[in-house]
Amino acid sequence: MLNNNFLWSFFSSVKLTITLLVLIVLVFIAATFLPSQDVFQTFAGQLSPGTAKIFFFFRLSDLYHSPLFYFLMTLLSLNLIICSINRFPILWRQYKAPHFPEPAGSFDNLPQSLIITEAKEISKIKLIVKSSLKKKYRSGKETDTERGSVFYAERGRFSLFGVYIIHLSILVMIAGAIIGSIFGFTADINIKEGETVNLANLTKGNGIKQLNFSVRCDKFIVEFYEDGTPKTYRSDLSFIKNGKVEKQGSLLVNHPLTFDNFRFYQSSYGAAPESKAIVTYTIAGKKGGSIGVAAGDTFDLPEGKARGFVMRIEENIMEMGPAVKLRIISPEKDIQFWVFQQLDKLLAMKPNLFSEAPMLNPGLFKPFVFSIDGVEHTYYTGLHIVRDPGIPLVALGGLLMIIGLIIVFFMSYQCIWVRIEQQDAKISISITGRSNRNNQQLQNKIDYLCRQIDQELKA
Amino acid sequence: MNHTMILSWVTFIYFVSFVLYLFRLITGKKFWGRAASFLVWAGLIAQTIALLLRWKTSYSMGIGHVPLANLYESMVFFSWSIVLIYLIIEWRTKNKIFGVFVIPTAFLAMAYASIAPDINNRIEPLIPALQSNWLTSHVVTCFMGYAAFAIAFGCSLIYLLKNKKKGDVEKPEGFSGKLPALATLDTLIYQSTTLGFVFLTIGIMTGSIWAHYAWGSYWSWDPKETWSLITWLIYAIMLHSRYVRGWRGKRMAILAIIGFACVLFTYLGVNYLPGLHSYLRT
Repeated sequence: MLNNNFLWSFFSSVKLTITLLVLIVLVFIAATFLPSQDVFQTFAGQLSPGTAKIFFFFRLSDLYHSPLFYFLMTLLSLNLIICSINRFPILWRQYKAPHFPEPAGSFDNLPQSLIITEAKEISKIKLIVKSSLKKKYRSGKETDTERGSVFYAERGRFSLFGVYIIHLSILVMIAGAIIGSIFGFTADINIKEGETVNLANLTKGNGIKQLNFSVRCDKFIVEFYEDGTPKTYRSDLSFIKNGKVEKQGSLLVNHPLTFDNFRFYQSSYGAAPESKAIVTYTIAGKKGGSIGVAAGDTFDLPEGKARGFVMRIEENIMEMGPAVKLRIISPEKDIQFWVFQQLDKLLAMKPNLFSEAPMLNPGLFKPFVFSIDGVEHTYYTGLHIVRDPGIPLVALGGLLMIIGLIIVFFMSYQCIWVRIEQQDAKISISITGRSNRNNQQLQNKIDYLCRQIDQELKA
Repeated sequence: MNHTMILSWVTFIYFVSFVLYLFRLITGKKFWGRAASFLVWAGLIAQTIALLLRWKTSYSMGIGHVPLANLYESMVFFSWSIVLIYLIIEWRTKNKIFGVFVIPTAFLAMAYASIAPDINNRIEPLIPALQSNWLTSHVVTCFMGYAAFAIAFGCSLIYLLKNKKKGDVEKPEGFSGKLPALATLDTLIYQSTTLGFVFLTIGIMTGSIWAHYAWGSYWSWDPKETWSLITWLIYAIMLHSRYVRGWRGKRMAILAIIGFACVLFTYLGVNYLPGLHSYLRT
């Protein structure tokens, strides 16, 4: 029992709260200066084996997910819960406090909050006091004492719970974060244009997750401003379930898409290793055909039963612009040659190019002459996939915290007592009050009430 | 006159009003105080016009966005928020003395924005990550918070200066007698801290809602996020020690100064650490 009591008072002390907050701040400061996970590997190499061991043991490269930080957060949560339970009876007594009689000595030493009048009847004065109180306060109550009638009014009693709402909001957010980290899931996928994918790499190399639907990237677009700053990253996606396209949409940064409880984010992009080229050819000077190809593709040529193989596609080979290397096989021949997009330019520089390097002649396979209309990137889009069931709780926590802060900082529990007392021929009206904070504001309110009652009496 | 011209005039105006507040403090003549706040009001109006012009200019350049998108614009807005909150407090308390310690922070922010070599004042287009409706609410609430903390910082400096000169007894004579009463300063420190705390809380929350939509995670332990949380915790410690342990005066002033150092590190220092908020780097 003693042991229990010790633990209880340990966890219910505000000193513990402040110590924990200071420790958490120190952990955070350390965490922002220590090397992060991704650069840690290179950093660890420079350490002595002993130091590296300490680093790994305390997860110093990722303090936010270290046992030390979890331990501190657990203590803080316990501290919050136990402090709240411990203080609740006092708060409840405050909340349930009786309005009568007023706290002892309330009506002593009131300098301005006192009006003395002879003019009116006491019943009329009571009415005036009542109506003045009603304007700003709730639950007016009245009682008769040996020293006259006492009126009571109050506002903002619920504000006593403001601090509780804030502390509860923190616990709710922590709960949301825990739920998110246990049941949540984050992964990344890269999808090439035209490709369909249903496997995602879990974040931090935690393996591969099979989705029960697949995602196709129909198109990826990156736009730039005139000065070269990126303007838009956009992926046009199709979500396919059971062989049917169930949803199509454009994914942009700041505009995630949701499908099947997963949220998709545009997180990166890149050029896929292969490029696409448009190869056109003429047959003996006459228009032949045009084909879009990627490296490794094959195509058939009309007449002569020849087959073409795309061996390489280069966006800029040896500073001479885009080029494609083709191999054409027919029953008679098997030849390879390069097709340059900027052949005219090359020929202008070196008129005898073909005799020096026959392989650069795109007309090597007669009667065909090849040319290319350009080489295009194919892009892949990098998607971030998230499912976080903790978010509603975290959002609720945030909302509660804002409400709590507004209550704590901008509202207070104010009680007002007004006593009407017959003293010989005179009637004196005294006003006093109590507030759980911000006594200056209460004083202003009392002064205002005084003036108001005074005016009504004179009217 | 374009907005850059107006902003350099504003910088100059804030400097002159600082000098006038100094006159007010030293001579004790009310005239200087009135002149100083008149100038500060003029400066604030000019700065507002300049910000609106910059906003309009960005639209005529075809890359229209609110002028809160890079370090330069945030600096100008920081100074604007400090002056705005200061003038509201000055108007409500009728006390024109602590301007001596607050207006210089607004002036320094403006001067730093225009002089620092690694800050460019061009209007730049918005990168995709910043193209969000949350940009305005996040930046405005954060900087309102920073500005309120800057005012608490200014008041804390006066408090410590005044408190150092003599023991616990306040003397009405001499230089320190011309400074606001310690009790007034204590109240101002407390009130601006609570204001800043509410704004910072909302700022962190709007930021995390934005992060939820932009990065897919409401909290990523990015250094700027972590440092904003550190700042929040420091002020939370400060408020708790006042409510629960009854700390007042000097201790609160010291905590407000530590808190403001964290604010500055969150705002500027963090940019030298790697992280997601990199658009503020130059």
